[in-house]
Amino acid sequence: MMYPKPPALSESRRAFLRGIPVLTAAAAIAPAPALAADGKHHWAMLVDTRKCIGCQACTVSCIQENAVPEGSFRTVVSTYSVKLTDADQPAGTYMLPRLCNHCDAPPCVPVCPVGATFKREDGIVVVDGDRCVGCAYCVQACPYDARFINHETNKADKCTFCAHRVDAGLLPACVETCVGGARIFGDLNDPDGELRRRLDAAKAEVKVLKPEQGTEPRVFYIGLDERFQGKVEGQGTLWQPRKRHG
Amino acid sequence: MNADIVETVNVAREIAWLPWAVQYFFLIGLSYGAFLVSLPGLVFRRAGWEGISRLALLAALVCGLTAPVALLADLHQPARFWHFYAYFTPTSWMSWGAFFIPVYLTGLILYAWLAYRPLLARHADEGGRLAGLARRIAYGGHESRNALVAAALLAFVGAALVALYTGVEVMLVRARPLWHTPLLPVQFFVTALAGGLGLTLLFNRGLPGGGEPGATRRMATALAATQFVALVVGGLWLALGLSGVSPTHAQALAEVAPSANWQVSAVWAVAATVVTLLLAWKRPASGLLIGLLALHSAWMMRWTIFIGGQEVPKTGAGYYSYQLPLGPEGLMGIVGTVGLWIFLFVVLTTLLPLDRLGKAGA
Repeated sequence: MMYPKPPALSESRRAFLRGIPVLTAAAAIAPAPALAADGKHHWAMLVDTRKCIGCQACTVSCIQENAVPEGSFRTVVSTYSVKLTDADQPAGTYMLPRLCNHCDAPPCVPVCPVGATFKREDGIVVVDGDRCVGCAYCVQACPYDARFINHETNKADKCTFCAHRVDAGLLPACVETCVGGARIFGDLNDPDGELRRRLDAAKAEVKVLKPEQGTEPRVFYIGLDERFQGKVEGQGTLWQPRKRHG
Repeated sequence: MNADIVETVNVAREIAWLPWAVQYFFLIGLSYGAFLVSLPGLVFRRAGWEGISRLALLAALVCGLTAPVALLADLHQPARFWHFYAYFTPTSWMSWGAFFIPVYLTGLILYAWLAYRPLLARHADEGGRLAGLARRIAYGGHESRNALVAAALLAFVGAALVALYTGVEVMLVRARPLWHTPLLPVQFFVTALAGGLGLTLLFNRGLPGGGEPGATRRMATALAATQFVALVVGGLWLALGLSGVSPTHAQALAEVAPSANWQVSAVWAVAATVVTLLLAWKRPASGLLIGLLALHSAWMMRWTIFIGGQEVPKTGAGYYSYQLPLGPEGLMGIVGTVGLWIFLFVVLTTLLPLDRLGKAGA
C-alpha cells in the first residue's frame, strides 16, 4: 500500500528551515520594541497586578541577569494571603511585584554624599559603582525598601531597569520573562508605544506606591489594592533570606 | 495588625547602618556633650567648674578621637573615605558632615592642647610618666588665654555643626516615620549632653576620694535638668503621635506600638530617665550611678532609633528581626570601639592623670 507523500509538510519544513537565518538576522538587527522612534526616552514600567501569577520568574531572571548575590533581591513578587468575605473560598492570594520605582523625585539621589547615585537623562536611577562608598544613606532614604548593600561588591545595589539591556535595545530581564505579561516596559515619551497607550487607556486605574511620599514613581500599577499601596498592615512573613553580612 | 492579611513571600532587608553607626553617634554625641561641659570652667572661668571642665575636656577628646574610626568602619568601602572630599555633594547632609567633623576635631584638639599645656609641663617637671613626651607636647607649657578662647570658639562652631548635621541627617529620612521628626535632633542633643555629663561624673568618681562633692552636685543638677527636658520632649512626641496632629508621628507610633520589643524599650527608656532624674535631683551624691545611667540612656536611645528603626519594614508587613552578629559587623565592632576608647584613655591619662586634671583650681 502506497502512502502519498505529504508534500505540504516537507515544503513547509523546508520553508521554515530556510527562514531560520532570516529570523535570526532579523532578531539581531531589528529595533527593540521598547525603543521609541525619536527623541529623548523616559523609561517607565507598568505592572498589571491582575495578570501577575506570582511565579517569581522575574525574580529569578533578574538574579541571573544581574548576578544578584544569594539572599538579596532587586525585584521580588511580594505575595499575600488575604482573607475573603465575599467568596466561598476562605482566602485569596494577592501578588505585588516590587522593584526600584525610578522616581522622578528620587529621595535616594540628594542624600548620596558623593554623588554616586543619579538619575540618567532617560529616567533610569543608577549607582556609579566606582564612586559609591557604601554608606547606605540611599538605602535608608528609599521609601520602597528597593535598595540594599551588595555583599559581594560592598556597594549600594538596586534595580537598574536592566540599563545595560535597555541601552542595547533589549527589554529588562523581568519583562522578558514575565509569564503573565504583567510587566510592560516602555518610553513615556512615545505616544504610540504600548506603555503610553496602556497607561492612557487605564488612566483612572493607574496608581503608584506611596504617592504621599511625593517621589513621583515611574513604576505604575493597575489593580493596586490600596491595602498594599503603602506599608502593608498584616502578619509578617516568617521566611527570611539566609543572613549574611560581610 | 490586620489579621486578614498574611505575608507569605517577601524580602527581609538587612540592617544597612550597622552597630558601628550606633557607636559613632554615641561617641560623637558624648564628645560634643562633654565639650559643652568643659566650657564653664575653662572658657568662662566659673568658680567650682575648673576641675570638672578639665575632666569633661578629656572625655570630649577621647570620645571625639574614637568616633570617626567607628564612622569609617560603618562604610562598606572604608578605603574610599576620600571620595567625601573629592566629590562634595551639597544636597547631602552626610557630605557636609564630612567637613564638619574635621572642623570640630581640629578645634577640639587645639583647645585641649592649649588648655592642658601648663599641666603637661608640670607633669614633666614633677617627673611623671612619659615626662619627656609630656614636655615635648607642652612645648614650653605657656598659658595662652586668647588662643584658648579662639580654639574653643572654633570647636564650639564645629560642635554645633556636628550636633546639627548628626540630627538633621537622620531626621530628613522621610522613608522612616520614626526618624522623620524634628524632635529627633533635640533628643540626640539632650541625651548627648546627659551622656557627656555622665562620663565626666564617672571620671570625677575616679578621682582620689571619689571627687569633690560640690562638683558632683553641680553636675547632678545639670544632669537632672537634661533628664527633665528629655521627658518633656518624649512626652511631646507621644502627644503628637496619639493626638494625630502630626501624621508622621502618628504613623511612627502606629508602626512600633504593636511590637512587644518596642513596648519594653519605651517603658525602659522612660523608667531609666525618671530614675536618673529622681536620683540626680534627690541624691546628687550618687555620681557613679547617675553617670552610668545617663551613659546607658544615651546609648540605648541610639541603638533603639538606629537598629530598632531599621527593623521596621518600609513596605512589608510585620518586622524584620535582627540578631547581633558576633563578628566585626556586630559585637566585635562595639568591642573594637570600646577597645580603642580605652587605649586612648590610657595614653592620655598617662600624660595627664585624672587626679591632676580634677584638682580644683589647679
